[in-house]
Amino acid sequence: MQNKLSFNQSSVCLEIIGLPDYSINENKDQISIISQWKLTIINKPLIEGKIEHLNPIMNAFYIYSNLLIKNEIPIYESKLIDIKADNLHIHNVVLKSSKPNVKPLTLKIGNSSLSDIINCFDQLNESSKVRIKKTMVSNYLTKKGRFGLKNKVKFMNFIMPPFIAICSLIVFSSTFIYFYNPIEDKDKNELINTK
Amino acid sequence: MILETIDLNGIQSLYALSNRLNLNNVLPNKVTIWKLRNNNPLRKSYVINNIKLNEFDALIRITVEMSKYLYPYIKEILNSKEDIKDNSVIWNDFNKRFIELIKERFNVDSMRVKKLLNQVENDEIIIKSLLILSFCISNQGYDRLKNFLFDF
Repeated sequence: MQNKLSFNQSSVCLEIIGLPDYSINENKDQISIISQWKLTIINKPLIEGKIEHLNPIMNAFYIYSNLLIKNEIPIYESKLIDIKADNLHIHNVVLKSSKPNVKPLTLKIGNSSLSDIINCFDQLNESSKVRIKKTMVSNYLTKKGRFGLKNKVKFMNFIMPPFIAICSLIVFSSTFIYFYNPIEDKDKNELINTK
Repeated sequence: MILETIDLNGIQSLYALSNRLNLNNVLPNKVTIWKLRNNNPLRKSYVINNIKLNEFDALIRITVEMSKYLYPYIKEILNSKEDIKDNSVIWNDFNKRFIELIKERFNVDSMRVKKLLNQVENDEIIIKSLLILSFCISNQGYDRLKNFLFDF
């Protein structure tokens, strides 16, 4: 008998079906060997698949939502799933079947459904009853972003103060050029020598 | 500001949540929260206070908790904008109150505030802000919002 766990968020329900891993003495209500999953969105066709499809689909939604809120072009394309923004409110999801001669499934979801889907995936990630190999993008932050942040802080702290100091020194000392008269200076020197 | 537009009693809720989250040592009273909010350069009463890390953390925790509590409303507003022809009342009410609050509290001479007041341009800003809040209602929401703000 397989275990079934549901994660609900308003208009979306994610169902995980599988078995516990008895070889590592897991509880009977645990799921470590996922055999099937189903994603139900109200008024949309059912999305289901095997474990190897779950992680790429979760990652696709996480990466897409990240692009969406970071003012980058919200397009995600892969062998399994494409997500593109139709406009500010509607997102086009194309799910490509791994089986031959099966047409891709196209869904149009709104912002509210998108946030429900993300929250269902979050519930799954946080659940202690389901163990999945997590290859997800950690907290939406790309390596580039993390690197950029560190660099920004270091640049401001270490480069800017000496740069400003040198610039102000140049500006300050250049004003003395206007007060310096080489002919007058030469005359003064001559006077000193004659004395 | 988005959270305050939804919750009419926003400042009171923020303070109540800070108590519930045991953040009294960081945010002991409403004045402290008010001072922190005044770090926003768009506000009329803008004052430069260096926000400490624990204050920044506390504000994120409160925002995440408030988003959890207001999630059904956030979703309704997003939904209303999706089918604006059939269900425009919620979006229009929200937008109207948002603009009223901006006029009341922000420096309307600033170009960035003028952009917020422009009904054509502010749609995108409001929707993105609502999406950010709706994505951070899980237990991971704190890290997610923090990372987003650092990356901003």
